[in-house]
This record gives sequence, C-alpha cells and structure tokens, in this order.
Amino acid sequence: MGKAILKVIIGLVVGAGLWGATAAFEFPPVFRWLFFGYAVLGTVVFLILDAPNMKVMNGVKAVAALLVFYAILCTVYIAGASLWPQYDPEDEKGKIAKILKNKVNPLDPWKADEVIGRAKELDAKAKELTERIKALGADQAASSQATGGPGAPPATTGAAGGDILKIGEDQWQLQECYNCHKLKGEGGKKRGPELDNIGSYLTVDDIKHKILDPKSWMAEGFEKEYEKGKMPDKYKDLMEEKDVVALATWLSTFKNTSVNTPKPIKKK
Amino acid sequence: MKTWQRSLLALFALLALFGGAAYAQAPGTPPVEFPYTGNRTAVWIVAQLHILFAGFILGAPIFVVISEWLGYRKQDPRYDRLAKEVTKVTVILYSMTALTGGLFIFVLLATYPQFTTWLINHFFMVFAVVYPLLFIGETFVLYMYFYTWDAWKGDKKARHIALGVLLNLIGTITLFVIDGPTSFMNTPVKAEGVSPAEFLATATVWDKIFNYSWMPLNLHRLVGNVTFGGFVAGLIAAYMYMGASKDEERAYYDWFGFVGNLIGVGALLFLPFMGYLLAYELCDYDASICPYMMADQLSMFFEMQGAMIGLIFLASNYYIWLSMKRIEGVEKVRMTILAPIVMVALPLIMTKVLTDYPAPDPKSLMFLLPLLLAPVILGRFLPITVSANTVIKVGFLMVVVGNAIWMTPHGFVPTGAKLVAELELPSDWNFLALMPAKNSAAFTLVFVTVVNYVIYNRAITQGTIVWGKIDFVSQFVLIFLAFSAIWTMGLMGAVRSLLRKYFHTYNLLPDFTAESFTPTLAYSAWWITGITVVFYAVVSFAIIVTLRASHPKDHAHEGQPVPAGAK
Repeated sequence: MGKAILKVIIGLVVGAGLWGATAAFEFPPVFRWLFFGYAVLGTVVFLILDAPNMKVMNGVKAVAALLVFYAILCTVYIAGASLWPQYDPEDEKGKIAKILKNKVNPLDPWKADEVIGRAKELDAKAKELTERIKALGADQAASSQATGGPGAPPATTGAAGGDILKIGEDQWQLQECYNCHKLKGEGGKKRGPELDNIGSYLTVDDIKHKILDPKSWMAEGFEKEYEKGKMPDKYKDLMEEKDVVALATWLSTFKNTSVNTPKPIKKK
Repeated sequence: MKTWQRSLLALFALLALFGGAAYAQAPGTPPVEFPYTGNRTAVWIVAQLHILFAGFILGAPIFVVISEWLGYRKQDPRYDRLAKEVTKVTVILYSMTALTGGLFIFVLLATYPQFTTWLINHFFMVFAVVYPLLFIGETFVLYMYFYTWDAWKGDKKARHIALGVLLNLIGTITLFVIDGPTSFMNTPVKAEGVSPAEFLATATVWDKIFNYSWMPLNLHRLVGNVTFGGFVAGLIAAYMYMGASKDEERAYYDWFGFVGNLIGVGALLFLPFMGYLLAYELCDYDASICPYMMADQLSMFFEMQGAMIGLIFLASNYYIWLSMKRIEGVEKVRMTILAPIVMVALPLIMTKVLTDYPAPDPKSLMFLLPLLLAPVILGRFLPITVSANTVIKVGFLMVVVGNAIWMTPHGFVPTGAKLVAELELPSDWNFLALMPAKNSAAFTLVFVTVVNYVIYNRAITQGTIVWGKIDFVSQFVLIFLAFSAIWTMGLMGAVRSLLRKYFHTYNLLPDFTAESFTPTLAYSAWWITGITVVFYAVVSFAIIVTLRASHPKDHAHEGQPVPAGAK
C-alpha cells in the first residue's frame, strides 16, 4: 500500500511538473490538461504493474466478470471517441450539395428516378388541370390562357448576374484549397505557397492554366513538391470551366506585396 | 461440420453468386431505403462484419500451418493441438464469412444498384470467374485440411502441412484479388493529361487491379490479418483457460494464450509501418487526401487510432510482464544499460533525424541503425548491466511517452478551418504533431516491445516457466487485446472507406445520395462498437460450440498432457 501511495505522489508531482512546464512554454490550457492526463496514465500503468495477483474465477462468476468487462470496454471506447472534438457533417453537406448540384451522374445521366418522379407529378397536375378546365368550361379557360391568366407559364426572369468574385471565393472553400495554400492568414500548413500576392505575378489565364495543369507553373522554393506532383491533377475533371475562371479571377485580385508569395516559374 | 451445415453454406454461396448477378440484371431497380441506419451505414455494418470474419479465416491459417509445422519439427504435440483447435473455430467462422459475404452482395445491390452493377461490369472476370473459383477452391482445401488432420499423421504429416501451405496460398491470392476492386475505389487508375473516365475506358482489368494502393493494401491486410488471428487465438485460449478445471488444461491454455499473443504482437510490430506505407501511397496518389486524413475531417479518427494503438502496445507489454512473473529465476536476468538508454533517447533522436532527413531518405538510417544496434554491439564490451525489471519498467515509461507523442495533436479541433490559438500547439512545439515525431513514437513502441521479448527469451533460458500459474488478470488482457484489435480494425476500415469522400470511386464516380458526407467520430464509434460486439458474440459462440462442448470431463487429449513446470 505504501508503494502505491508513493507512486501516486510521484505521478502527481510529474503531472504538476508537466503542467508547470507547459504553462511556462505558453501551451493552451487544453494541452496542459492533456499532458497532466499522460502523467495520470503513467501512474495508473505503474500501479497496475505491481498490483497483487487476481483471484482465479470460475463458472457464473467468470461469465459475469467477462460481461462487465465487455460493458466497460464498450462504454470507454464510445465515450473516449465522443470526447474528442467532433466534426460537424453539416459543414460538409452544404459543400457537397453545391459541388454536385450541376454534375451529371454518369451512372444515371438521364436521372431516371427524378424524371419518373417529375413525370408522375406532371401527370397528376395535368389531371388536376383537366378537372378544373372541365369545371370552368373550355372557352373560358382558353381565353384566360391567352390573357396570361392562371394557366399561363410564368414569365422568365433575366439571367442572374452572379458575382464572379463570390463564386471564386466559394470555389476556394468548396475545393478546400485552404488545406495547402495560406490566404488572408488562414489555412496553409506550408504544403503549397502562400497566395496573398499571386495577383502581382500571374494573370487570370495563368492561374487558370495552373489549376487545370499543375505542372504548368512551379513556385520558387517548392521544387520538391513540384517534382512529386503534390498539387492534384484533378481539377480539370472536377470543376466546371466557369468555376475555374471564377476562382482564377478571384485569386488574381490578391496583390498584397507585404506577403512573401513565392515567384512562379513557367514550366510549360 | 455436419452435412446439412455444409449444404446450407454451399446453397448460400451459390445464392450470393448467381442471385446477385441476376438481381444486377434487373433494369431500373430503385434502391431500397434502410430504416433507421440508412443505406450507407447498412452497407458499412455488413461489409465490416464480412471483413472481420474474412480477416480471421485468412489470417488464422497462416499461423495454424506454422504451428503444425513447429509441432512436427519439435515433436511437441501442443503445437499440433493448438493448430487443430484454431482450425476448428476457423471452419465455423468460414461459414459465417460466406454468409456475411452473400448478405453483403445483397445489401449492396439493394442499396446501390447502379454503382454495384457498374463495379461488377468493370471487374466482371474477377467477380464472376476468378473470385468464385478461388472461394470454391479454398472451401475445398480448408475442409480437406481439417478432415484429414487425424488421417494424415506420422509419415503423412508433411503432406498435411503441404495442404495447409496450399490453403494459405489460395487464401492470400483470394485476398489480393478482392483487394483489387476495393483499392480501385480509393485510387482508380489514372494517367497524366488524360481524364480518369477516358483512361478507364481503355484500361484492362489488370490495370484496374494494379492501382496505386493495391499492393500497400494487400500488405497491410495480410499483416493485419495475422495480428488479428493471433489475438483471436489469444481470446480462444483465455476463454478455455477461464473454463478449465484441471491444472494440465490451464497449463496448456496458458501456453496457447502466450503463443497466440506472441504471433499477434509479432505481426503487430510491422503493422504501423504497413499502415504508413498505405497512407504514403494514398497521399502520393492525391495530396489532398493527406490533409483530409490528418488535419481535417478525419483527423480525430487518427487521434482515436493513436489512443487505441497505444493501449494495445501497453496491454501486450503488460502481458509479457505477467508472463515473466511466472518464470522462476527471472530476477537473475540482467541486460546491458545501453538498452534503457537507447529507449529513452530514441524518440528525441529519431524525431530530429527524421526531420532533417525525412523518410524514405536512406541517410536517416546512417544515424538510426547504429543507435538501434548499440545495445547488441557495444553492449558486449560495456560491463554495466541492469536488472530485467528495471529495463521493463523504463520500457513502460517509454511506451507511455510514445503514446503521448503519438496522441498529441496540432490542435484540438475537428478540422483545420476551425483552428484558433487557444486550441493550437505553440509554434515552437509544433514538431510534436508532425510525421517525424509520430514515426519516432511508433518506432519507440516497437523497440520497447522487441527488447521486452528479448528479455523474456533470456529469462526462459535462465529460469523455468511454470505454465498455468500466470496471474488470472492476464486472461482479461488477452480478451482486451482481441477486442481492441477488432475495434481498431473497424475504425481504420471506416477511415479507408471515408477517404473516398463524396465519391463511390474517388474522383471518378460521385455519390449523389444524401449520405455522402463524413460522419462524426462519435457516431462511427457507436457502430464500430456494435459491429465488434456482434463479431465477438459469434466468435465466442463458435469457441464454446467447437471447443468447450467437445471437452467432456474425461476427454482423452489429442496430445500428451503438458505438466505445469515444463518449458
């Protein structure tokens, strides 16, 4: 018992030391707790190592112990997984819906389900209208249609202007470019060059060329990444032409000379 | 297995093969909608269950045949008995593999009819000819292997072992074949300057199979299956030990558990590196997969993986510790002081070396190899030694340190987009969250485990093992290892599937259903736990039916009883 108390004391001292050290190095509180947790784990491990032998169990007692053990394992694993920060699928759902909105399903180019559903809907509407026409009288319905009455198709509105820069910014988010490129101080992790001054170096066409063919330009200092083909060669297949233009146009507006965007070198 | 059981199995396999193909031909079949779980989770449950059973029946025969061979070579009947008992369980679980496989095809066809038909068309030869033939061949050889066990003894033993080798050969080919379509969904064939759809139209079946992640997935699953098989063998031993009423039975199942754990841990040592290879190839295929895994939507899945691997290594080393405690004379065992010194220095030095010379730069080996070999080479000339207990305890300390490094994240956020300073590592300490540190942590866990087994090996040459006298808690450790290994398999299986993001086949075939998003870790954990429990219940039932029920009180054992105290 004395040994166990000594171990707990040592564990607490180590935990406090780790807490103090992480505080001194300005770790956020959540990391201080994490390191304290490691000290607790170490203490538990060393307590278990010298614990007295477990008594042999048989029969119903052994089965009950097993069931309790499984229940503990299930609870700990589910609770453990639930304690980590959780990704909110709603963030992704909106993005995916936007990306797939105008895409054609190669497995169902005619959208059979949708077409059948729509046909059924129209059929029902046609029946309903026929009933109404019958109720109103055919002549009255025909004149109503000619004067733009209830049965007339809605007037078409003009094409939405759409802000190309907004679409470009949307594409930056949808294609998750921020995972590799830093922009406006966000994202990056040095996988790809910072792009705050890219507009001073490249035109819209150049940027578009780079997105569609990543081997066309290389950022100075990113030779290794260029050779390994780190920038995925997939956007020509995943993105619509207008979206690439919008993204390139939006990026070309970034001309912040105070940021050290590496100089692009033309390769193709 | 009874005739009716075999008939049922054959019927189910045929139904799955031809029924599935017939269903796929039905034009315009609308997908069903699974209540409560939704379609994707329904496929997930059945697929994961199938993979668990398949993983066991492919992994177990590898060490079964090695065990049989060892028994033949050493003339030790315990190995033969172990091999036969694991094969008995394997035969039962084989039918569960077929059953869940058939169910998997049905559920897939019902929930994703268009995609399933598309995939079958692309791998028609594989699904309609090669895989069924291999499956039938494996069924034939497995039953032949099992039923000829007693007949092919003595002079015919070599023939029986050869049959076991053939079984493994077919099993491994089956795994490699079915990994083709699986890995294709993650990394479909591509070529520079050609769109994936255009390239696919001209690609042969072999091109589709031999994709970027095929071989890494093969290796990862092969090693994973052996690990899993070893730990499930440990589970079998634990159940039997707990139910044993005689000392000789306890002695045998104590030994059985040790061997199962040894195989499980032996293969486990390679698993982090196989996983790393697979991740490396996936990132090489498309660099955007890497941040999705490590920094974005799936980053917390990897935190959980770190926690699980850490626990598995702690438990497996604790089992070695308990195994040592039953060796009489273990206190005399000593080891060079360089071993604990290298253990302590390893994470720090390795992180520095791998930062300066990132893997796979061979220069890193120039620094690391001498360090790792120092206890073996320099230890001979340095007279200072420490007790085995001290080395093992330093090892436990370093396993905790290794776990700590592995689990320390760059930020406590589920995605990089939500990172704020209050949840991020200070920039000077960011190296703790980078791959060199993670690799050094994994290597520390492996190194400590290897040193512990070296000590164990020395202990048994200098002392006497008292089989059957292991601390009873060790049986819970074996059960824990099996449960945790299965849970981790489920977690990493989910990760591999989720890497396809909102695609059925990555970058090629989008998934237009409402379920094509990344689920939360908590949601995934519920299902992974549920799947693990179902698998565990079936395996437990199989063990009780095949082994416990066939052990009447006055049962004459196949092998000679092994007295406690024998090595």
